[in-house]
Amino acid sequence: MKRNLSILALCASSLGFSTLIPAVAFAQNDDAFFNTTNRPTLNFYGVSGLIDMPTAEMLPDGEIGIGISSFGGSTRSTLTFQATSRIQASFRYTGIKDATFSSFDTYRDRSFDVRFLLNREGRYLPAVTVGLQDFAGTGIYAGEFIAATKNFSGGRIPGTVKATVGLGWGRLGSSGAIGAPFGSDRAKFQSGDTGGELSVDQWFRGDAAPFAGLEWQINEKWGLKAEYSSDAYTLETRSDIFERKSRLNFGAEYQVASGVRLGGYYLYGSEVGVNLQFLLNPKRPIAQMRIPAPRPYKVRPSRRVDPEAYSRDWAVSEAAASGEVRDALIPLLEAEGLRLIEARTTASTVEVRYSNDRYNATPVSIGRVARLLAAIMPASVETFRIVPVENNLAQSTVVLRRSDLEALEVSPNAPDALLAVTGFESAAPRLAGSARNEDLFPNVNWSIGPYLSQRYFDPEEPIQVDVGLQFGMSYQPAPGWTIAGQVRQSLKGNVSDDVRVNRSVLPRVRTDAIEYDRGSSTSLTRLYVSKQWKTSPDIYTRVSAGYLERMFGGVSAEMLWKPVSSRLALGVEANYVKQREFDSFLGFQDYTVATGHASAYYEFGNGFTGQLDVGRYLAGDVGATVSLEREFDNGWRVGGFFTLTDVSAEDFGEGSFDKGITLSVPTSWLLGKPDKGMRSTTLRPITRDGGARLSVPGRLYEQVRSGHRKSLVGNWSGVWE
Amino acid sequence: MMWMFKRGIGALLMAGMLVGCSSQGDSDSFSTQIFGSLKEAVTTRREGPRPKIVVTPEMLAQTTIAALQVNPEARGGSDFLRRVAARNDSSLGTVEIWNSSDNAQVFLRNGVVVGTRGVGGDIIAADANVTVRALQNRSGANGVRTYTISDGDVTTTEYRLRCDLRDMGSESISVVNLVFSADHIRENCVGGPSGDTVIQNDYWVQHATGLVRKSRQWMGPKTGYFEFVLLKD
Repeated sequence: MKRNLSILALCASSLGFSTLIPAVAFAQNDDAFFNTTNRPTLNFYGVSGLIDMPTAEMLPDGEIGIGISSFGGSTRSTLTFQATSRIQASFRYTGIKDATFSSFDTYRDRSFDVRFLLNREGRYLPAVTVGLQDFAGTGIYAGEFIAATKNFSGGRIPGTVKATVGLGWGRLGSSGAIGAPFGSDRAKFQSGDTGGELSVDQWFRGDAAPFAGLEWQINEKWGLKAEYSSDAYTLETRSDIFERKSRLNFGAEYQVASGVRLGGYYLYGSEVGVNLQFLLNPKRPIAQMRIPAPRPYKVRPSRRVDPEAYSRDWAVSEAAASGEVRDALIPLLEAEGLRLIEARTTASTVEVRYSNDRYNATPVSIGRVARLLAAIMPASVETFRIVPVENNLAQSTVVLRRSDLEALEVSPNAPDALLAVTGFESAAPRLAGSARNEDLFPNVNWSIGPYLSQRYFDPEEPIQVDVGLQFGMSYQPAPGWTIAGQVRQSLKGNVSDDVRVNRSVLPRVRTDAIEYDRGSSTSLTRLYVSKQWKTSPDIYTRVSAGYLERMFGGVSAEMLWKPVSSRLALGVEANYVKQREFDSFLGFQDYTVATGHASAYYEFGNGFTGQLDVGRYLAGDVGATVSLEREFDNGWRVGGFFTLTDVSAEDFGEGSFDKGITLSVPTSWLLGKPDKGMRSTTLRPITRDGGARLSVPGRLYEQVRSGHRKSLVGNWSGVWE
Repeated sequence: MMWMFKRGIGALLMAGMLVGCSSQGDSDSFSTQIFGSLKEAVTTRREGPRPKIVVTPEMLAQTTIAALQVNPEARGGSDFLRRVAARNDSSLGTVEIWNSSDNAQVFLRNGVVVGTRGVGGDIIAADANVTVRALQNRSGANGVRTYTISDGDVTTTEYRLRCDLRDMGSESISVVNLVFSADHIRENCVGGPSGDTVIQNDYWVQHATGLVRKSRQWMGPKTGYFEFVLLKD
């Protein structure tokens, strides 16, 4: 059974990222983490809850859930993220069949939820949570609640019983109301509204109704649920989608795998429903990474015992000594998946600059370089200066004392002890007097493979996919220079079938995507030349020109200030671009725009990174983008963003403003082998022309950050792996 | 076995999305990597855990250097480790680094595991002072042991365990064709991040030399227990 389901998940996974999470939920390790009878479960809205009602429970910190539920003509797919131990956020896509309040056969809608844990469950007090449902969409599910949940276990009843009581407003207060404690002026749901605005004036207004329920997790596999619902389903019953005969719902759930739960239910006295719940935790890799052990080295003899070994004569000619170090290091680094760029040594200090093509976590590569130096350098060299370089950008200088490395490798608290004595300094743009690795340039790389592009949430075809082959090539003639191109051949897809009229009143900088799909099955997605370099120890620069993305080509310049140990980074980017022809070949259309942003990036701690971009967007609109992302130490990232510009909600169209969520998974997390790759996706409820940013390859911040203090500290134990 | 199977799933997942090839040594080896993990997963599933290797007196006689036999319990099979380095530091005892044929390492402080590399879910660092002292004195003791263990994604979890060591008395142990009398010391520990980690290590300390000749030690939550036999010092 389990195996068949796993195979099913595998097949599903070939559809791409949208099914990655369910597939991973099947594959994720089944350890003590979750072998309990008081796990949180998801409701029909894909958030922690009972059947149709919420509970006050939170998921474990960082957990990602996907819920797919269906009953009475409504199908809801929800992505939920436990952003902190107290905050849960969700994005939902809903389809309601035969909804007479909409012009489509199936009414499709997107909604966002957020909830906050006010009180953690204690010995006597229950968990208490306040939540907002559909707080920024068109409002079909708009509702607020406050709920309390208490777990009971032990005694004569096996497993755990969870009791929940709550009070709901809006949709959650539509049946069995007991009055309107905070006023009764609540607007009704309007179909066809652009949505998107925060309906602050409605929250907790209007009638309030109580709800309650019990969940009994009998054992690790089975659970039963019963609830008293406060949702009248006014819209649905008015459209005759289903008949609501009762306020009571019942269900049974079965834990299929450690992260997969399936439930069957009888709802509102007339409907049968199903709910499939997937939970996965980014903190638990599905495969453990095994990095081959470093080459063992001998600790230096003490100076007292063997003063001869500490002779400095070998470095009389520093140029010759540097050359020897370079020649010795090139093959040793190569064996570790690293490339030596340059080395310089004196009798007491060695500096090595290298690039890393293998390890996602930079500290692993630093640890490897340090130990190789300890193995080959004469005893008089005491200071190691190790500089990771990302395409001509020296990220930082990590300064280690060789005696510390030797003394701490087997010490009881090795990672923290070494961190305490390690220095992180800015790296100068160039290393004067070094011996360079002359074999690095020119460098040619190519790749060929399948691609899969997806577009979500079209009212007619919710998931549009395009599958084909892509060929990429890059040529690096000298440090920092890149000439790169990519060609795609579409083989199959359901993208191009759409024939709806584009009603955008703004320059069609993004809504014309469909025209590009239809324009040609072969497309030159990118062809550009770029140069990046450092102008000072803390300033990074990039200039690019060419066909930068599928829809625009032109020139782009960027400058970034980011000191190694600073949480703050500042950047500016200016672009002048022209819209490309729909055939995605070499030609251009008439539309040109000067677009650019001033950006501030800030690392808040606990893995949270914020970004503010202020400037002019592709359609010529002026405004700002706010992004917040949580990055796990292992490289997983989950985030959200929104853009407000001077385009009115009406001109913007559906959604009112641009917003979305981002998700990135490191390849090494899935494979269990060192790998620098990432799988990233951006999910927008709807793509319109307002607040659209140019997609330039090789923006600086991400290239620089992985080698800076904050990122290094997060994975510092990797220096010893 | 299950984890191997799951690794296979992870690999297949990636295969579904990423098969392709490129000129770059590392990122191109997606397909090779996948075949690697799959092959591993499939052979393990088919064959089950391998039996451990029985060392014959002839094999032992031919060994001229220090050798340590390691028998991983969960994964099965055996490996023979060579001593490649030794370190003295401010903590009690001497740390020896033992290297396996497939480039994994075990750090032993007077016979007590204080680190591993290249095993997967490695012990990055460990404080075993209490244990080392008890083995030196061949007596009971109690105290706190700590482990910093890799989660397998370049992050670590701290395990703080309360340990109780007891002298189980004198026993005679055999290593290949040799018989030694040794003190059997048993160590029971409880604790860990959620308080429910329970481990039991056994050490046999040779009377004549004070060496840990044989032991069975916990290697972390994912790896389980390894049996160590010091064939030749």
